[in-house]
Amino acid sequence: MQSAKTTPRSNRGSRMTTNLQQFFWLLVFLGLPLLLYGLWVIYPTIRTFTLAFTNYDGLSPARWIGWANFKELFQTEAFRLALWHNLIWILIFITIPTSAGLALAMVLNQGVRFDRFLKIAFYLPLVLAPVVTAMVWGWIYHPQQGLLNTVLVEILRFVKLLGFKVDPESARQIGWLGDPRLALLSVIAAAVWRQVGYVMVLYLAGLKTLDSEVLEAAKVDGAEGFNLFRYMIFPMLAPVTTIVVVISIVDSLRSFDLVNVMTLGGPFSTSEVLANYMVLTAFHDYRQGYAAAVAVILFLITFVFTLIYLRQVMAQEERRS
Amino acid sequence: MKGKLWLVAALGAFMLVGLTQSNLSGKLIYNSNQSDPKPKAFDAKIVELFKKKYPNIQVEFNTVDHETFQNTSIRTYLASDNPPDVLTWFAGNRMRAFSSKGLAADITSVWKDNGWEKVYPKGFQNLSKDASGKYVFVPVNYYWWAVYYRKDIFKKLGLSEPKTWTEFLSTCDALNKAGITPIVNAAKETWPQGGWFDFLDMRTNGPAFHKDLTDGKIPYTDPRVKKVFANWKQLLDHKCLLENAASYTWQDAANLMIQGKGAMMLIGDFIRDQYPADRAAAELDFFRFPIIDPKLPIGEEAPTDGYFLPAKAKNLANAKAFLSFIGSKEVQEMGVTELGRLAPRTDVNPSVYAGKPWIEKGLKEIIGPADDILQFYDRDTVPEMARIGMDGFVKFLSDPGQIDQILADLESARKRIFSQPQ
Repeated sequence: MQSAKTTPRSNRGSRMTTNLQQFFWLLVFLGLPLLLYGLWVIYPTIRTFTLAFTNYDGLSPARWIGWANFKELFQTEAFRLALWHNLIWILIFITIPTSAGLALAMVLNQGVRFDRFLKIAFYLPLVLAPVVTAMVWGWIYHPQQGLLNTVLVEILRFVKLLGFKVDPESARQIGWLGDPRLALLSVIAAAVWRQVGYVMVLYLAGLKTLDSEVLEAAKVDGAEGFNLFRYMIFPMLAPVTTIVVVISIVDSLRSFDLVNVMTLGGPFSTSEVLANYMVLTAFHDYRQGYAAAVAVILFLITFVFTLIYLRQVMAQEERRS
Repeated sequence: MKGKLWLVAALGAFMLVGLTQSNLSGKLIYNSNQSDPKPKAFDAKIVELFKKKYPNIQVEFNTVDHETFQNTSIRTYLASDNPPDVLTWFAGNRMRAFSSKGLAADITSVWKDNGWEKVYPKGFQNLSKDASGKYVFVPVNYYWWAVYYRKDIFKKLGLSEPKTWTEFLSTCDALNKAGITPIVNAAKETWPQGGWFDFLDMRTNGPAFHKDLTDGKIPYTDPRVKKVFANWKQLLDHKCLLENAASYTWQDAANLMIQGKGAMMLIGDFIRDQYPADRAAAELDFFRFPIIDPKLPIGEEAPTDGYFLPAKAKNLANAKAFLSFIGSKEVQEMGVTELGRLAPRTDVNPSVYAGKPWIEKGLKEIIGPADDILQFYDRDTVPEMARIGMDGFVKFLSDPGQIDQILADLESARKRIFSQPQ
């Protein structure tokens, strides 16, 4: 676009050729990505939307059934639970890992000893494939041989030594992933562990961009400690915070791998989330049409937050330029 | 003259080779779900033998992880216009789901040409036909379910194999007193609970009732179904079952038994793959699921695995040759000797069972006396009902007081699922 404005408008002919040339190069540079984008993103999205109104089972020809899938969705307990669990996931994700990540970033940004090692250590979980994270946490949560219960047994043993009447082995009864009251929170805990490092890195990057002159001025004016953070740094980090919150929400809605590997949504849907429910109905129950309806709901929710995110990012870009 | 003689000799030799090795040529694509180490090695061996027998056929052999195979791959294969030629699959509702849609090739000729109707028992013949009576399936192995137990622990405590429900419950009590979990129970994957439901229903209401139930003909709110859960609840009241079952995969639970922390487990004979081979002979044994109502016919579970050909398979002749080979006496005997599984054929040499006393016991005590052989809850009913049903069973284990609500939920699922054209 820039070149269009600066093109000398000496005569119409050369302007036409420039435009044509421009169009040609636009086509070359944008055509291929657009084609791929259309093929891999736009087309499947449209297909999913149309599929959601059919009873397609992957084998028989699809039959149009109108809103029936959506009506059934909201009458199904598993779906309502999944929706509710995604909401819980969002609430936890926008509070715990965000504040923990921010705290870590603040501490590590001060230049503490071994800060490089610590940064790497906190970031490392993100490098692991989610499936690996899920498997490792599955072992940690194993009631009989898991790390968590073994540590609890040792603690109880110590408590017993102090003279309290407890049975240390009873800790092995706790089924973190098998107990309907604990399963969802146990899975989210593993997800939080993974997310903290991510948020930390985002905030660390944000902290580096803060104007040091402004901060110096604030310090000269007597702001320090928590006040400096509360009234200067945190407000200046606002754009980063918006991005962190939106990313956390989108990540919560995307949550699938940990649930699928650790509990498969069980026991009896107590750790079900939308994405896993979608996969189960599509590939276990063979109800692709119904699963597409779940996908549509998930898409619409995610879309809202993605829009907010994109607006924020674009606004930032504009401010920068 | 000499040169011509050579030519004739060469031609003769060529023809002889051709005759003994068959004249089939071209491609054969075989996709298998046998992804566990032992069966996978066996599978590869079978393919090698087939290649030796038919050197002109280029075999493309793929193994897919069994969960992926049954959840996604199989549908992709069957929906494609260019499917593999031979596929592994399960008898029962899982096979009917495909044959009723015309997705399985008619292989009646394979059965007739090989004279299999004389050597496969009636039950297996019926399992292999579609609704119209055409053969679409070749069963190659099956295994029974039973209550597996640690015979060394039983012996130490002076316990014997319980035959009746009351004996079963008192065995639980005795084991609890000795500080051993009576039955290790796994529900992280929900299917082991499908086994519990099958047996409890067959023993409480009989196999015919259970078949109607899994076919969707009987409401889950029927009082007879509720009786099943009353019996199940007795197991909970006697603390027979491992708590927190939903935390354990079946391998986890089997490990508890291997470690001696638990004494019994309701599971398929494949537990042998998990049990340390050097200890199994001295420790691992099984008994038939105890009888609750002696007036009822006895049903057992023997899930049957086998093969079918997609209707759109491109290399049908080669695929049929492969099925004939797979179903042959020699291959089935090899399956017995190498995998310790059971051959559906009745004419396998009894010597292949030598050194495997449990097979003799299983045939005599489980399969022999059975009036009816079922496949398994998740193979006898449609997949969605199986998922929702088994979720319900796990919910019952965790909160038995909810049973009325659970059964009402299962019933509304049954109504919806079975009202749709399958």
